[in-house]
Amino acid sequence: MAMKPEEVLRVIAAARGSAIVVPTMTTAPAWRTIAPDDLSVTCVGFMGGASSMGLGLALARPDRRVVVLDGDGSLLMQLGSLATSAGAGARNFVHLLFKNGVYHTSGAQHIPGGLTVDFAMMARAAGYRVTCAIRDLDEFRGRFPELLKAEGPVFAELHTGLAEQTPMTARGGVPFHEQVETLRARLLRPRAAA
Amino acid sequence: MPESIPASLIIDTLKDTFREARAALAAEVAEPPQHAHLGWILSVPDTHQKTVLAALDKEEAIRVVTCATEDEATAVAAGLHMGGEPVVLMIQHAGLYASINTLRGVAMDGKVPMFYMIGLLSREKDRDPRESRHSMVRYCEPLLDTFGVPHARLEGPDDVHLIPEYYRLSRARRGPAAVLVGLETA
Ligand SMILES: Cc1ncc(C[n+]2csc(CCOP(=O)(O)OP(=O)(O)O)c2C)c(N)n1
Ligand SMILES: [Mg+2]
Repeated sequence: MAMKPEEVLRVIAAARGSAIVVPTMTTAPAWRTIAPDDLSVTCVGFMGGASSMGLGLALARPDRRVVVLDGDGSLLMQLGSLATSAGAGARNFVHLLFKNGVYHTSGAQHIPGGLTVDFAMMARAAGYRVTCAIRDLDEFRGRFPELLKAEGPVFAELHTGLAEQTPMTARGGVPFHEQVETLRARLLRPRAAA
Repeated sequence: MPESIPASLIIDTLKDTFREARAALAAEVAEPPQHAHLGWILSVPDTHQKTVLAALDKEEAIRVVTCATEDEATAVAAGLHMGGEPVVLMIQHAGLYASINTLRGVAMDGKVPMFYMIGLLSREKDRDPRESRHSMVRYCEPLLDTFGVPHARLEGPDDVHLIPEYYRLSRARRGPAAVLVGLETA
């Protein structure tokens, strides 16, 4: 049975420590209720860009882990980014793929290839140092802390069902530019605000 | 119009631009990142600027990330910006066309300062780029105008001052700004 994405997100929230988190698509509404903090930035409005934005953060801040919560349709849109992320060699980069087989946010149409696409194998072939596929919540709970500490780039394909909310049913959230400004301020501490 | 522009002149200008950006950040924030390098070039290789890219291979002070697409380069730049790192995107006109949704979604909607150096391959020396025989050259400035992105032409060694100027402009307006490289680097 596929994992419930909300339960996966709760495990991540409990274990992430000081990691920056980059959600996108159906992980976004759930993440903002489960982890309403200011150490996250959502990829919204540029489908497929979550992992690249996370990579930039990881390269800028090697002192922190960066955890990307990607969609399978999103990753397919910028599949070459697997090679870019792997090639950049960020040791602190953790790429989690929420594999639900569909474009849930736009109406749950099947992605090309559906559930047969093996993203973990693609990530390994692209050069990620650690790759795996996880189908069960207990297994994820057991393995996530070690994935979070591993020498990256790390990739995990998470077999998940459909989220309760999508960015279409749960609109709102902080506008993207405010999220950018808040995270930047949190990381750099502007003197006026310090 | 000169025949070419030395790669070393561009690289020295980029280094000065990055130094200035780091100094500005250090004045602005309490915890600027501490790195050995000065800044980042995000590139999907541009034919016009290939001698710059080749020379950058030997430059330890500037880190180059070659991306598979300009969409990725734009999003990586946003992440680096949030972490306080100075970035220049080095792409060609075709890459601008290919990544315009990300320019809009990241640099404009995200109010992320984003400085582009865009090579205008096939720009003819004897006619204005807007009248070029090549659609790739002809539509570049009108496209930037449509999106309200300020741009300037870098067409010889005397124009390198545009690099720090437009870099600063992208910070000041918190969005994209572009320099169009109209001749080959040597
Ligand atoms: C360039 C572009 N094309 C199409 C869309 C329409 N669109 C919005 S959400 C979405 C599906 C996202 O699917 P996935 O990444 O698998 O995430 P999920 O919703 O399944 O969590 C699509 C196709 C878009 N936002 N951008
Ligand atoms: Mg999906």
